Amino acid sequence: MTWVTDWAPDRADINRCVACGLCLPYCPTFRLTGDEAASPRGRLAAMAAVADGIAAVDDRFEEMMGFCLQCRACEAVCPSMVPFGKAMEGTRAELSAQRPSPQRVSRRWVFGRFIAMRWLVELATLFLAGLQRMGLGGLVSRASGLRPIRLQSGTLGRSWDPEGPPRGTVAILSGCVMDQWFPGVHEALIGSLRMAGFRVEAPAGQGCCGALAAHDGAAPDAARMAETNVAAFARYDWVVVDAAGCGAHMKDYGHWVDGGEDLAARVVDATELLARLVDEGALPVLEDGRGPVAMQDPCHLRHAQRIGAEPRRLVGAAGYQPVEIDPQALCCGAAGSYSLLHPETSAQLGRMKADQVRASGATVVASANPGCDMQLRRHLGDEVRVAHPVELYWEAVAP
Amino acid sequence: MLRPGTGGVCRGGSVTSIRAATARMFERMRPDDAGSVEAEFVTAPQTIEDAAAVIAHAADVGLSVGFHGGGTHQGLGGRLRTDVAIVTTGLSGVIDYQPEDLTVVVDGGMPIAELEAVLDERGQTAVLPEQPGAATVGGTIAAGASPFRRLRYGPTRDRVLQVTLATGYGQVVTAGGRVVKNSTGYDLARLCAGSLGSIGLIGSVCLKLWPNPVETATVAVDDAAAAHEEVYRPFAVLEADGQGYVYLGGTPQEIQAQAGAIGRPALPGLRWPDPVGSPVQVSVRVPPRDLAAAIALVRSWRSPITYRAQIGVGEMTVGMDEADVDELRHARAWAESRGGALVLLDGGGDLYASLGAWGTPPPSQSIQRRIKEAFDPAGVLNPGKLPGGL
Amino acid sequence: MGAPYSRSMDLIAELQDVVGPDRLRHHPLDLHVFSRDAGVTAGPVAAVVFPETTDEVAGCIRVAARLGVPVVTRGAGTGLAGGAVPTEPSLLIVMTKMDAVESVDTVGRTAWVGPGVINLDLSRRLDHLGLHFAPDPSSQQSCTVGGNVGTNAGGPHCLADGTTTAHVLAVEIVTADGEVTVVGGEAPDPIGLDLRAVVVGSEGTIGVVTRILVRLTENPPSVRTLLVAFPDIAGAAGTVSDIIAAGVVPAALEMMDNPMVRAVENYVHAGYPVDAAAVLLAEVVGFADGVTAEAELIEGIARRRGATDVRIAADDEERELIWKGRKSAFGAVAQNAPDYYLHDTVVPRTKLVDVLTAVYEIGERHGLTLLNVFHAGDGNLHPLVSFDAEKPGMTERVVAAAKEMVEVSVDAGGTLSGEHGIGLEKRDLMGSVFSDIDLDAQARLRDAFDSSGLLNPDKVLPEGSRCFDRAPGAFAAVGP
Repeated sequence: MTWVTDWAPDRADINRCVACGLCLPYCPTFRLTGDEAASPRGRLAAMAAVADGIAAVDDRFEEMMGFCLQCRACEAVCPSMVPFGKAMEGTRAELSAQRPSPQRVSRRWVFGRFIAMRWLVELATLFLAGLQRMGLGGLVSRASGLRPIRLQSGTLGRSWDPEGPPRGTVAILSGCVMDQWFPGVHEALIGSLRMAGFRVEAPAGQGCCGALAAHDGAAPDAARMAETNVAAFARYDWVVVDAAGCGAHMKDYGHWVDGGEDLAARVVDATELLARLVDEGALPVLEDGRGPVAMQDPCHLRHAQRIGAEPRRLVGAAGYQPVEIDPQALCCGAAGSYSLLHPETSAQLGRMKADQVRASGATVVASANPGCDMQLRRHLGDEVRVAHPVELYWEAVAP
Repeated sequence: MLRPGTGGVCRGGSVTSIRAATARMFERMRPDDAGSVEAEFVTAPQTIEDAAAVIAHAADVGLSVGFHGGGTHQGLGGRLRTDVAIVTTGLSGVIDYQPEDLTVVVDGGMPIAELEAVLDERGQTAVLPEQPGAATVGGTIAAGASPFRRLRYGPTRDRVLQVTLATGYGQVVTAGGRVVKNSTGYDLARLCAGSLGSIGLIGSVCLKLWPNPVETATVAVDDAAAAHEEVYRPFAVLEADGQGYVYLGGTPQEIQAQAGAIGRPALPGLRWPDPVGSPVQVSVRVPPRDLAAAIALVRSWRSPITYRAQIGVGEMTVGMDEADVDELRHARAWAESRGGALVLLDGGGDLYASLGAWGTPPPSQSIQRRIKEAFDPAGVLNPGKLPGGL
Repeated sequence: MGAPYSRSMDLIAELQDVVGPDRLRHHPLDLHVFSRDAGVTAGPVAAVVFPETTDEVAGCIRVAARLGVPVVTRGAGTGLAGGAVPTEPSLLIVMTKMDAVESVDTVGRTAWVGPGVINLDLSRRLDHLGLHFAPDPSSQQSCTVGGNVGTNAGGPHCLADGTTTAHVLAVEIVTADGEVTVVGGEAPDPIGLDLRAVVVGSEGTIGVVTRILVRLTENPPSVRTLLVAFPDIAGAAGTVSDIIAAGVVPAALEMMDNPMVRAVENYVHAGYPVDAAAVLLAEVVGFADGVTAEAELIEGIARRRGATDVRIAADDEERELIWKGRKSAFGAVAQNAPDYYLHDTVVPRTKLVDVLTAVYEIGERHGLTLLNVFHAGDGNLHPLVSFDAEKPGMTERVVAAAKEMVEVSVDAGGTLSGEHGIGLEKRDLMGSVFSDIDLDAQARLRDAFDSSGLLNPDKVLPEGSRCFDRAPGAFAAVGP
């Protein structure tokens, strides 16, 4: 009646919680339910109960843990710096090991295997593109939030030189779906980095970052993916990531694999780096006047990486006026695979976020994460354009 | 329980016994000292313990007990004639004044005017009613009377920190604490405010004080309600017989800024309108947003009236020489429909009988009864004064 | 109480009839999660319900009363005194779902709110109307208004505005017999005994509050916030006295000692002066010219008392930053050691410095790290003890020190709690500030509402408080 794997959450981590309750209002599930058991504090108490052998890893425990979005908003406000994300990932790994189920197995296949098989993703993309061509595009978009798919070759294994001699070389994470479903974001990132004088490489040996696997408790798979990337990115000073969820997870690689800490220190979010380059003068600042842009904060950018100012600076540098929609930056409800596993809650949060965007009056909303992008699209339809801050920047400055 | 105005004896006790008992045991008491108070037995105890002893004995033998301070609010709930009258002239000093702490502990029988004079010497105030006459601190608190400045500082009860109470079962209870922030136990001290002596005699009270403002000013206006919207945290906004007044306090710059917002000149000092001295007086209490309608209502009455309405508070004292019971009943029904009340502050015995002092008792009557019974098991303290005949 | 098994089966079944299965919890894991609040105690929970209406609350209470199961009320569970922790298997009524804000009257400045509304949320929701709810405890982003009513919560702005009891015009409560009563109202000076006074601060022992008519406060047209550094605590304390003597009562007057300032600055980098012996945070409100004058007045006084640095916030952003420092006390303290214990003591304002000295001495004697933040204007002192509960004997030392701090405060003329409430934590210390007769009177008051002991039993008053009955004829025993 306790933990069984090495991945189990650290009792010392859980002990940091002093039950002050300051995390509660920042937790989306507590906000929706008012239920202590759906709060970070309550979840930590449950973890502690299992660790101490008081509680069983049963249906209720799994339900309580599974309801968590893993948005890590609680971490950002916790006075005692409880590493909630890490503790929850450990708990998910335990659940995976202790409570196998057909659903869990199929999810493992998707997040642990398929997603790393590029050809499979490309095949799926072809299929979706076909649906879109056949006039079912609207249906596909509304259901999934996917952008119209543009078939083209991806970034993997390629490189791009800047005009003139490069000031340095950086790597980018091609990611598992960015190439197929969000190629415009990569294009914008590569274009901006080249403009700043960098040579950009997307090393061939890389793979899926492993976030989805880690969040779902498929720990061995996540570790394997981390190992792959540690090797692939070994020789780069900077690894630029334009998907917030991936960047956050890679910055946690220290938990997952030897040498992970080293790579983690070299991972930088796209907006983080570009904003810095703008500040340095390596990238242009345009005059104001392009209108307001609603700023959505992906949880894994704002809460996990504590990056909030940079996307705004970047959008501002593009000549837009960043508009705040939610001082608390409550999760949009996408939360990786959460929208598939908890569709109602996901939709509730998605509607709330869409309402916040609409209330701002802006016709564009900037989101630095593909999952959030899709969720916003699902709930805003065609009303408001959804774009990555880097895309907005590149559109404005590209020659 | 006694009904107001009937006086008389409750359970066949003897006045002679109490006189004899107290004379034997408390030589310091002066049984006949207390001017115009009418009762079978009048006493002015020098300590709260003595007062408790009198109450205890009265409870034992079934004699009703009333309390008299300055005699200014005896009309609330009806002028009772009780068997025993405890006059608080003997409990009338400052017990402990701590200007640095902004607290003062004072005997319940101390006249407000005297207390404020003492505090004023140190540039402080207890923010009690501004035109107290002979009113005492304890009596004012028991009557639930508040100053005009309640708009800024809150009603009197907000400043009651601690009370010593001589209860109906003859014990001296201390409730609250001499600190301005308190979450220790049940707030019996605050409950005493407005209790009209029905749960005990307020022997002494610790009040929260405020420093006198740097400066004060009065601005005369035509439309008090409109002026109220222009200013920020005025001390009071009054309308008296058609004339409006805004009362301000603070630094000279603050006053100038506020007067400027109203657009009228500010005269130095707080210049309150003359007190209502009419033989019949009622207090109309409605939500602040209904006050304008209340004013219009009373001004439409047949008989001439004088009124002091507190804008932003929702209370209005109305004075008249003669009462029209139907008009009062109608106004009361209207006030109650707005969630308020019309309370008879003073008037002839017939008026109390025909109109009733309070109107509809509050919905929490059963709880109120139980509290009354707990603190006055013999039912001798100002019986019948509270709504519902408690 | 009867056979636990059959009792709990009845309880669950009957509660389900009232709130349905979705808002009822009785799985052991849920009961465990709800066994604690933010304090140090835990207690047994028999079942948890999340009512959405007053009728449901009444229904649950009637069930509990019939089955003899005590009822404990809970908001967000941020209480520090164990007010929401049961002492025996109890029904926990969680009010978080009753969070409506209705009937906002912008003229009268009132609103009816559900007890589950989070304190800061209420102010945020009313901000566009230029109104806010004045009581602002440090936990305001999490705590509920119902909880504030239960403990008579305070906060920095209570200096000028008063504690929760000054901001409650009416409450709807469900008493132990399942009856719903409204006490108070929108009109001033409700007739009869003022029961609102008893409800506020009653810590869930006399009724379950289901709706609250709150008094709202106008947002000030202008605000000025100052951060003042002093080379000694006496200077800071003297400044507070002089400010008040000058006739100014600031909206807030907070003090922090050097250890706290260092911890805070290290945590949030708000520009706090780390070499100051004490830091004073003052805030004044009013019209623009008025606040400038008051701020200058305060600055003048501070400098005369030896202030080494006076910082006046130039804009909202800076004001936020200054307050961020003050409000991050917990976070700052948590950097030092994994656990902390927040004390709540209140003394007459002039005794603050003496008590602070005594508190330091107590801390030293018990080998504890102490950091202090206090509401300088009203004598409410919050020593924060930073410690590691894993170290053997540590928790015992913290508890022993807590008791001594309370004693010192009471000796200095203070009382047990300034704003956290008595709960379980300080219940047995009530005898140090109240005599048996006093406690008996409070028990009479409580019993007038609930003599069954159904609602949050064992809290606030020690056992046997309702003891005193004056026997008739014992006249001789009561004398001069």
